[in-house]
Amino acid sequence: MNTRTALIGAGQIARQHLGCLQGLPGVEVVAVCDLSPSVAECAAERHRIPSWFTDHRAMLRDVRPDVVHVTTPPTSHFRLALDALEAGAHVIVEKPATPTFEELDSLARRARELGRALIEDYNYLFNRAPREILRRIDSGEFGAVVHVEVMICLDILGPSGFADPNSPHPCLSIAGGAIADFLPHLASLAHLFVGPHRRANAVWSKREQSILPYDEFRGLVEAERGTAALAFSASAQPNAFWLRVYGERMQATANLFETRLTFDRLRPGPKPLLPLLNGLEEGKAVRRAAVGTLMRKFKGGPGSYEGLFELMARSYRALAQGSELPIPAQQVIEVNRLVRDLKPKPRSV
Amino acid sequence: MKALVTGANGFLGRHVVSALLARNVELRVLVRPAARIEELNWPDSVEVVRGDLRSSSDLEKAFEGIQLLVHLAAAHDGGEDGVFRAAVVGTERLLAAMARTPCKRLLLASSCSVYDWSRVRGTLDENSPLEPIADLYARDGYSIAKFWQERIVRRFAAEHGWDLTVLRPGNIWGRDHAYLAALGLKLGRFYLVIGPTSRLPMVHVENCADLFALAAVDPRARGDTFNVVDDSEKKWIWTLLGNYFRGAGRRGIRIPIPYRLAYLAVSWAFATVFRRNPTLPHILIPCRFESRLKPLRYTNRRAREVLGWQPPLNYRQCLARTFGEGPAPAPAAPVLIGLEQKIPS
Repeated sequence: MNTRTALIGAGQIARQHLGCLQGLPGVEVVAVCDLSPSVAECAAERHRIPSWFTDHRAMLRDVRPDVVHVTTPPTSHFRLALDALEAGAHVIVEKPATPTFEELDSLARRARELGRALIEDYNYLFNRAPREILRRIDSGEFGAVVHVEVMICLDILGPSGFADPNSPHPCLSIAGGAIADFLPHLASLAHLFVGPHRRANAVWSKREQSILPYDEFRGLVEAERGTAALAFSASAQPNAFWLRVYGERMQATANLFETRLTFDRLRPGPKPLLPLLNGLEEGKAVRRAAVGTLMRKFKGGPGSYEGLFELMARSYRALAQGSELPIPAQQVIEVNRLVRDLKPKPRSV
Repeated sequence: MKALVTGANGFLGRHVVSALLARNVELRVLVRPAARIEELNWPDSVEVVRGDLRSSSDLEKAFEGIQLLVHLAAAHDGGEDGVFRAAVVGTERLLAAMARTPCKRLLLASSCSVYDWSRVRGTLDENSPLEPIADLYARDGYSIAKFWQERIVRRFAAEHGWDLTVLRPGNIWGRDHAYLAALGLKLGRFYLVIGPTSRLPMVHVENCADLFALAAVDPRARGDTFNVVDDSEKKWIWTLLGNYFRGAGRRGIRIPIPYRLAYLAVSWAFATVFRRNPTLPHILIPCRFESRLKPLRYTNRRAREVLGWQPPLNYRQCLARTFGEGPAPAPAAPVLIGLEQKIPS
């Protein structure tokens, strides 16, 4: 029997979710909901979804979906996800799952009580590059991870997105403003490589004139298995999503917006040749990735959302088989604890 | 008559405001909260209301004392979702507010992009087929948004018994918007001119604004739809690009590419090399390629026949007003071709 799925929120990110779902065997998207009738109807028409709603409670009551994706702005996630859980559905919620840790904690508790899954979308964990680094760690060739750096360089200062002065983005009401929308990506990657954190310190600042409360963020994390340096910059260009993992025998560098993944490693042989051999290998990998990224744009497909497709495939498989979820509840709690500790404290706003 | 104009500070909007004032229409304009309007030098008689169609909660107030809505607001950037929200969600919220007021007359700025360019042969006019739903979502975000905007406006009008006039401008050009993408693909000094003898559905912004103002005041426009193009559509793209070079003082080398050859190459590559990837640049997707470059003819015959409209500026005057020396000229005075006598009572 097919898994019956519904979406609440039919904007840009919902289109990515629908792209994944429509390619998954055994998954049937049965309804979509949005406050705007046009947006809901357009999504239903475009993706051939049999029903659309503007009231999520009516949708949950009439359609009784097995899984609900919450893809609205984050300020509405808590109520929508809670209603979906209460209606008996598993919930896959876009990041950030809730504006505060307390809301996330109570949502996770309720999911546990009801025996339902609550999955927050950490799609970049499932991109090819992090998975390849993990594979090398698991095989032992990387050595133990000592430190991880994650930095997102993304121009969010343009007038039509987060910094739109005419219609303030809902994220601006969350501590950290627009950058809070990206913290789960940074925190989940740190958690993946160095585990739950013990201490975290952050610096929040503002370089440019805009309605954003902050446009720069730096965080330093001490975790169970190593340390992490996390950063977001709205001014550093070009746009990139850098992941750098330092191991005892190898270092990996990836740009998760592209396909670039390079490794520097210890090699047998004369030490003076090490930079040359690593440099040649890196040059080859960078050239191959540059062509691969261009071809990916021409040939289509998920692009930098490749991890979302992988995450959805694994999540639905786990839900169908009753096996362990690709993002277990404990991981969601631990990542959100780190997000909480990195956010600016009220008195420093 | 008092009209509410949305998008009044946009490229077309500022000219429509002038044209409506010239026809003695009282105006209230709705502009976004952060819009800068000081340099527009609107007279004190123009009431300015600030709000954003996507989020303002008191749009109904903007309709107090209004008999006509001239809805021009839309967006060209912000990604597909941003364009859709600005054009469609904004319109949906605006019309929901209007439905709670006595205002029953509406003039919509739609677009020639709503037509099914793949099926049209010969001349594109108001009877040409619209894009069918089965093919709509292969089009670009702007075309999808304009299609949906017109769709919900017609639904609201039918449901509430409003008098609706839909105007579908072609490519609007004028000072500061002189270069239209379809004139050529710029590659350094070279301009690839696809279909050099094709025409474009060009309309100078002042001619376009003039037809909007006429349709606003002329009861014969009610319930009708008009394509808005001017007579410069008779010029070849090759000539238009040459005039652009001369007017803008630019240099470039034009390379002609036959339309048919380019279309076949794009269609073949789309189906094979690019595996029907919908995220390619528009020019590499056949239906979007056609909607920009297909060699058709365009006509303003319906506006001439129903409203007696004649574009007030000929092509030479349009060039002068676009590329002429000095500050931006004031919008053209409307040509009142015996309006009093021509409008049936």
